[in-house]
Amino acid sequence: MAETKEFEEKSKKVFSAERKEDIWVLVLAAITVILGLAGVITPKTFPSLFF
Amino acid sequence: MTDTNGGIMKYIPGLILCMILGWLALQWDQSIHKWQKDYQESEKILKAYSHEGQPFLSFAEYTAKSEEKYKEKLAAFDRGETKEKPKKPHLLKEKDYVPLATTREISSKFSFGERMIQFQLTYVAVLLLGGMIIRNTIGLPKLFQPGAVLARPIIKPGIILLGGYYLWSNLLKVGVFALLLVLVFILGTTVLVAVLGRRMKQEDGLMGVMAAGTGICGVSAAVAVAPVVNAKPRDFFYAVGTILLFGTVALFTFPYIGKALGMSEPVFGAWVGTAILNTAQLVAAATWYGHDSLLTANIINIVRVGFIPVVVIFCIWFYVIKQATAEGKHEKINTWQVIKEKFPLFIIGFFAMVTLNEIGVFTEDHRTIFGKQFLQIFFAVGFAGVGLNIAFDDLKKAGGKAFVIGFIAATLKAVLSAIVVILIGTEAFRVK
Repeated sequence: MAETKEFEEKSKKVFSAERKEDIWVLVLAAITVILGLAGVITPKTFPSLFF
Repeated sequence: MTDTNGGIMKYIPGLILCMILGWLALQWDQSIHKWQKDYQESEKILKAYSHEGQPFLSFAEYTAKSEEKYKEKLAAFDRGETKEKPKKPHLLKEKDYVPLATTREISSKFSFGERMIQFQLTYVAVLLLGGMIIRNTIGLPKLFQPGAVLARPIIKPGIILLGGYYLWSNLLKVGVFALLLVLVFILGTTVLVAVLGRRMKQEDGLMGVMAAGTGICGVSAAVAVAPVVNAKPRDFFYAVGTILLFGTVALFTFPYIGKALGMSEPVFGAWVGTAILNTAQLVAAATWYGHDSLLTANIINIVRVGFIPVVVIFCIWFYVIKQATAEGKHEKINTWQVIKEKFPLFIIGFFAMVTLNEIGVFTEDHRTIFGKQFLQIFFAVGFAGVGLNIAFDDLKKAGGKAFVIGFIAATLKAVLSAIVVILIGTEAFRVK
């Protein structure tokens, strides 16, 4: 019973971490879009990363 | 992000490793694609001149002639005689053209690129297979493990950025079929596993997690449902083991099955979007198959993960409310609370991108940057994480009757959905 309770808590914690993860994901995507719209990232940026 | 013990620093080594692997794989991908284009151009040149015994043009004449042809096609497009804007021709470099003209043989490097693309050994395959081999042979040192786990969700910003490729009309056109597939196959599998589990007298905790996991969205749904159905740790790992095992088998076999069945890219996208249980794995399989496949699979996936709260509500009803009612007790579902808690937030970013594209914020350059180039960067880091986390020891945790039920249900869904998407056809699933 204690084990189940502990696990229940843990899975709730994991889900709230997934929620936090989603917020970070949104921030990362937003930064990329802003940089793209501002012209900091251009279509030449990506090919320039490779030989 | 899942654990604060040891601070953020513990994620750094694994993340750096995934970034390095991602870069190496993208470098490989860029090279083989360039070599493939060089191969096709070399073949074209040989066909045009070699068999007729004509002399080859000089390099300057070759580039001038190609440029002239391109300008003619462009003028025809401007006059409205052709619908599609011609692409700039891919020309051989002088150092490659001269040996071709002299020896009349295609460089082995170019043939190698062509072969690699034929075998679909793009960055996706390299990262998934390479990561899996590293993990299960030399092993992944503990130092890198937290960061490698954290790298997997980096696929999600790529999914959001891909939103810039769609218009609402595309989304609604494919979305109708996506909704249909989700309702029939995904919710159908959830119900089937739950009912079969009861019939075969399996524990509710285990079958609840398995029903959610095999039905809708792999591990995320299993995590969301676990507390609702009072799953034990053992149940959870059995279910996750089954989901991961099926996903891994599907990921490495579906692209080849798709090719063998002659599936078009949109049809394959619809199939993997329905049949593969985990977002990272389905995105990987669809990307592996082609960009159009990814565009379709992404819509199905968005609709599917949006249904996580529905699955949680079903599980509460099936395992808690129904049981309580049978025992004469009265229990209620707080639907709004469930939706608020379980709805995957990143979908909002995807819809925001679609809207920005619809109102004309993005140019063609932006769409290339977000939906093709930076998407690959995010995917490459994420796929490195996925590959490095395929541990055979975790897959062995799947077992017992529950595994049989979960695996049969997932396989049945894969077979039936393949038939249905093939029958529905390419045009229904084509985004553009």
